[in-house]
Amino acid sequence: MELQILKPGLETRELYLPEMAEITAVRRLTEMETLYTVKMPGGRELGHQPGQFVEVSLFGVGEAPISISSSPTRHGEFEMGIRRVGMLTEVLAGYQPGRKIGIRGPFGNGIDVSKFRGKDVLIVAGGIGLVPMRSMINYVLDRRDEFGRLIICYGSRSDTELLFTDELAAWEKDPRVEYHVTVDRGSPDWRGRTGVITTLLPGLQLDLPNTVCCVCGPPVMYRFVVLTLRGKGLPDDNIYLSLERRMKCGVGKCGHCQINGSYVCQDGPVYHLPDIAKLREAL
Amino acid sequence: MAQSFLEQARVLDFIVHLQTRHTVYAPHRRGQRSFAFEKTSDPAAVELDYPRVLGSVKKYFLPPRETLMDFDLKTDTATAPQVEPVNAVFLGVHSYDLAAVKRLDHNFLTGKPERNYLVRRQGARFIGVSYVPDKFHFAGSVGIDPYDMTGSDVFLTRHPDGWIVDVLTGEGAALLQGFALPPHALPKPKREHFTQHIYVPQDSLGRILEASYDHPVWNETARSCLSCGTCNLVCPTCYCFNVEDQVAVTGDSGSRERSWDGCMLRGFTEVAGGEVFREKSAARQRHRIYRKFKYLSDATGQPWCVGCGRCTAACTAGISIVDIVNRLIRDAEREEKITA
Repeated sequence: MELQILKPGLETRELYLPEMAEITAVRRLTEMETLYTVKMPGGRELGHQPGQFVEVSLFGVGEAPISISSSPTRHGEFEMGIRRVGMLTEVLAGYQPGRKIGIRGPFGNGIDVSKFRGKDVLIVAGGIGLVPMRSMINYVLDRRDEFGRLIICYGSRSDTELLFTDELAAWEKDPRVEYHVTVDRGSPDWRGRTGVITTLLPGLQLDLPNTVCCVCGPPVMYRFVVLTLRGKGLPDDNIYLSLERRMKCGVGKCGHCQINGSYVCQDGPVYHLPDIAKLREAL
Repeated sequence: MAQSFLEQARVLDFIVHLQTRHTVYAPHRRGQRSFAFEKTSDPAAVELDYPRVLGSVKKYFLPPRETLMDFDLKTDTATAPQVEPVNAVFLGVHSYDLAAVKRLDHNFLTGKPERNYLVRRQGARFIGVSYVPDKFHFAGSVGIDPYDMTGSDVFLTRHPDGWIVDVLTGEGAALLQGFALPPHALPKPKREHFTQHIYVPQDSLGRILEASYDHPVWNETARSCLSCGTCNLVCPTCYCFNVEDQVAVTGDSGSRERSWDGCMLRGFTEVAGGEVFREKSAARQRHRIYRKFKYLSDATGQPWCVGCGRCTAACTAGISIVDIVNRLIRDAEREEKITA
């Protein structure tokens, strides 16, 4: 049977061999989450878009898809905010600066920033969904003139689980940012708002046709956020969702991350809402 | 190219001819009703008349388990192992299994070609054979005839006195070099009919499945399905894989291993934190069927079920892919009649 034979020009680079990168800083965010700063070999840029992910590899433990938390506008190293929930992240939690980790990627489509340029940007982030959204938020902040309003709605289970608290405080003070936060259950000294993330949305004054929204959070959150945004009159065409699945190989070969017929590692993780109307497994 | 004839009495000589020059893999009997592709040593043990092999030739290009890299935990370095081309003759492959190899080629070689698969696939030459459909085959319904020579370098069609030989490629001609065969001019015997059918052309099947997402058949099938993943395991076009690290007992080295995985297994979609995106067996069954007849077909223009019947033959719960699909078709047609 005829077959493409090994010929010059045909890319046959090893798809699964990671590059060895170095952890240069480790910052504890909460009890469960840690921010890792990582330098690629030779200090080269990762070359990512907001919303993309990498496969983090620890030899002897395995590999896991992890979203990139830093904006490509911040050159040099990149950051990942990682929750301790599985085998790999548990081991990683013991790592200190100087340790090497394997990186493959960036993978996935990322956020098409051109769709947000010139528009009001609405970010809806639930829990650890803030980690990938922070890449987009800082992208907008670094190129502030290219975008309209920046509205951030952030929901967390409790105030002790809020991530990037120093940056949240800065957004609160920054006149260029409209920052709203709510927690499901506040501790006794929580002075802010209490309630699920959808309670933040009805009060927003939006220039609907001119507002583009990106949503990221736990699986259960999406359909309620979408319903609420629709209820406000935001067109589906203006809504993007960043979805989590089990992106195992990252290169569209292993089959694990499919949402119906769509490979999240290839077509996602950021989906345009009208495109997933037909993907019944999406929300 | 011209046809020639291989008399039954010369089949053993033919196998000897091949195996003195090449590595040859061919079907061997493994039990009363089971056959498997294995490397030939005794030509008399080769069975060219067989209903189906338990696993297809997939295992030679995508092994059930393979090492993607070896790593050294002291230095945190990894190296990809040398992968060897299969460089062999596959004798006695049925047309649906050759169609399946084409599907695997598509997955591993389009987009970013995968080195392991690409290297391993080099030097594979196929001698197809015709077969008599049994009670599980339905390849005709997906457009793959028992006499279909697509993908074969040489094709052998059953004849009462032996095999009609079609040489289809230059590589096929090279395989026959030095083994003279008399020409054959008469038409091939009429092929046996399939007893299993999917009663609808492929192009409208996608449309029917589109409308069958919430059909009761998924829940009904889930009641008997054991979620054992056997259907995935025996499928010649299932290519999904998992990757896991193995550490040597010395603790200072190890390897990253890839192994076959199956979308019918509950853990297939599980992510850290415990979320399982296809929690219900019914959803997994639907996913399997849609992958064969819709998702991958929509993307590639061809069905990813090749009609071998293995998933039905091997199912411990007696679930039939043909019955499921025909039920959807029947109900869709009834629906259309009602609404028309």
